[in-house]
Amino acid sequence: MGAGATNIDHIVISSNDSAATAQLFSENFGFPIKRTMSRPGTRAHLEFAKLDEVVLEFAGPGEVKPYDEVKSRIGGLVLAVTDIDAAVAAVRAAGYECGEAHPAIQPGAKIATVKSGTGGVPFAFIQYNAIPQESPA
Amino acid sequence: MIKKVHHVGVVVKSADEALKFYRDALGLEVTADRVIEDQGVRGVLLKIGNSEIELLEPTRNDTGVAKFLESRGEGMHHLCFESDDVAAELEGAKAKGITLIDEKPRPGLAGMIGFCHPKSNHGVLVEFATPIEGDHH
Repeated sequence: MGAGATNIDHIVISSNDSAATAQLFSENFGFPIKRTMSRPGTRAHLEFAKLDEVVLEFAGPGEVKPYDEVKSRIGGLVLAVTDIDAAVAAVRAAGYECGEAHPAIQPGAKIATVKSGTGGVPFAFIQYNAIPQESPA
Repeated sequence: MIKKVHHVGVVVKSADEALKFYRDALGLEVTADRVIEDQGVRGVLLKIGNSEIELLEPTRNDTGVAKFLESRGEGMHHLCFESDDVAAELEGAKAKGITLIDEKPRPGLAGMIGFCHPKSNHGVLVEFATPIEGDHH
């Protein structure tokens, strides 16, 4: 049965200059950057590209210092699940450590972080439409 | 032309141990599991939606994967983009000034593959792959 993961939702690419890394990947591999976001309160700057069903999230600081060299790495993996509470229960039942599902930045979504067993991969589950959203009046 | 994320590569100490999480706890299907002698790795592909997760366990100590494991520990190793024509991707990348590890396609777990040097991608190791029809997909 497992955790009910349906697809890779997004792959995080962490950079000390996320805009520069996103632009480089766009130029090198020919896919467009669809969206950029500076996250209020966190001083994070995010840029997003989408390939088929997988989002590449380029994540970095909001204020870029004059680095000698831009450095990036693959920073994490997030799988989409259909029932995040069931996914959390499944990995816990298998003996792995997993945090509680909590609201994600994406409206209506919940996210939970798996903390062991992943082979060194920063790893999370995400479920969209997990929290009912009020429709505009 | 790049179509999608084919897989993310994860270097692990023990593929058997990692499979307890990715196959048994998450419920992902193993689509390939074999030792690639010339690369000194055991590679395991697990299907997740339209992409895959590739576990890489070094089988000897003189390979890039073994050195990665020794210096950085377990974790995310590379990002692989799927293309209809890996040779064309490598030629196109070279024309853009991207440094290549593989000038020509070679057989790999994901089909015909070729790697770009991480220094051309702000430190991220990127692979191109063209799956072979009738192979594990």
